[in-house]
Amino acid sequence: MAEIRIKNLHKEFGVGEDKVVALEDVNLDITGHSFVSIVGPSGCGKSTLLNILTGIETPTSGTVAITSDGHVAAPGYVFQAARLLPWRTVTDNLMFVQEDRSEDTRKRCQRYLEMVQLGDKGTKFPGELSGGMQQRVGIARAFSIEPDVLFMDEPFSHLDAITARALRRELHHMWDETKKMVVFVTHDVGEAVELSNRILVFAKGGRLEDDIQIDLPFPRDPADDEVAVAKAHVLRKFEELDLLAS
Amino acid sequence: MTVTETRPGTAGSQPAPNPGQRLISLPAKIAKSPHLARVLFPIALFAVWELSLIAVEEVWPFAVDVLPTPSEVGGFMWDEFITDTLARKNLYETFFISLRRLLSGFAIAMVLGTALGLAMGLSRATNAFCHDWTMAILAMPALAWALFNSIIFGFDDRGPILTVILAGIPFVIVNVREGVRNTPRELFDMARSFQVPQSKVIRHVLVPSLMPFMFAAARYCFSIGWKGLVIAEVFGGQDGAGWTIKFWYDAHRAHGVVGYAAFFVIFAILFERLVFEPISRRAFRWRPQLQTEVVEEAFGEHHEHYGEEETARHG
Repeated sequence: MAEIRIKNLHKEFGVGEDKVVALEDVNLDITGHSFVSIVGPSGCGKSTLLNILTGIETPTSGTVAITSDGHVAAPGYVFQAARLLPWRTVTDNLMFVQEDRSEDTRKRCQRYLEMVQLGDKGTKFPGELSGGMQQRVGIARAFSIEPDVLFMDEPFSHLDAITARALRRELHHMWDETKKMVVFVTHDVGEAVELSNRILVFAKGGRLEDDIQIDLPFPRDPADDEVAVAKAHVLRKFEELDLLAS
Repeated sequence: MTVTETRPGTAGSQPAPNPGQRLISLPAKIAKSPHLARVLFPIALFAVWELSLIAVEEVWPFAVDVLPTPSEVGGFMWDEFITDTLARKNLYETFFISLRRLLSGFAIAMVLGTALGLAMGLSRATNAFCHDWTMAILAMPALAWALFNSIIFGFDDRGPILTVILAGIPFVIVNVREGVRNTPRELFDMARSFQVPQSKVIRHVLVPSLMPFMFAAARYCFSIGWKGLVIAEVFGGQDGAGWTIKFWYDAHRAHGVVGYAAFFVIFAILFERLVFEPISRRAFRWRPQLQTEVVEEAFGEHHEHYGEEETARHG
């Protein structure tokens, strides 16, 4: 079972007068098959936290431990833009992040492509696919390494509303089927409420301000009263914390 | 709130074009076709050539002894083509010699230029040290290199080869350096977050991202190197294409000079079509084909077609 333990995490950029605090004394535990959304206004340190969790950036102070059954956990990452290699085919993009090129690995990649409904697009180049399809490939790539934890940085923010909704459903289905832990960064409260069983609210200056549990059954329809009430509840928290203006 | 649905095709749709309109637009389409324009170009060229000869002859009757006619040039080129020549070496031997020199210089310029461009792109100190030197070599005319090298090396292969290297290498250096500076950082971050080994990142991310810059470098190096080579052969060669055009010049055969110049052009076009284009098509087959059409035809009918196809592709 995957676990993330963050203790006294602090991150600064720049020095002297240019110093900017991106994350301030963050303490956090996430365990098991959870879908955790990190929400907050622009510049609240959401993406910085994700970059530290995935090793792209290092913390100024504090510790981050990501483990699975006592071992270092394998992370997967879905980015805001799909970040596919444009010169490799869809299948080769999945194979690029694999440890080996065996037939079993290739079959596994094909299975995840089928899960995102792109089983017949393996020989296409990313430039031949729409934005939604490219993001699907990004999701399949992240799942294909069978990570213990999946990090997602506003993966649907560049897509139109209909495509984003379809992909949210697919993502939820895959999360449910694979029993992975997902840490999902978004600025869309409705998206967070639809997908997550836990929402972490960050404020400007990188402070973790609130930790909200959403105990509603899945799949959730944004039009349902209970989902709308939960969304209103999170937005009220935003209002209390004076985050809406920013 | 009221929601009103309108089925597509029932309101506000455009009337279908009648078949007559299509027939009328066919000649217009042929007139706009790039193939027709391509065929018309040499015809127009020969017409202008002949007409200007007639016009010049009216003013200066002796011009007919100096200026070559298209038929004279054509006849000369045909004789050369069937190896019936007065020059010491026939067309094929001549171009083989020049091609050997060109490829030697080109290969050395590409290897050295790539290494220097990589170093300059990766290290600010190296870039600061080499930048002015590169600009100086870039500013030097090929003619100066040709003269300088013929003085130093005399009439063997080294002078023309070194001229090709010096004429082409600054373009390779600058292009590769810009390629390194424009490498896609987000793809490197992606590879790092998936813990992809460094050697694999170099092979699958760095090298392919440099390819468009390498291709631009190769094309520049080849064409600039070719021009440099011809000049070097004029001054410091005993054979080769440059030497042969000077041979016809010394023999006061204007049709020979023009005909040989035409061979240079044909050679460069054939090399582009038979070597660079197929390699480029293969190396960049991942690029959406429609992109170039959009650039070329952005204000014409193709723009609309592109939009339709885009919609079809992206569903």
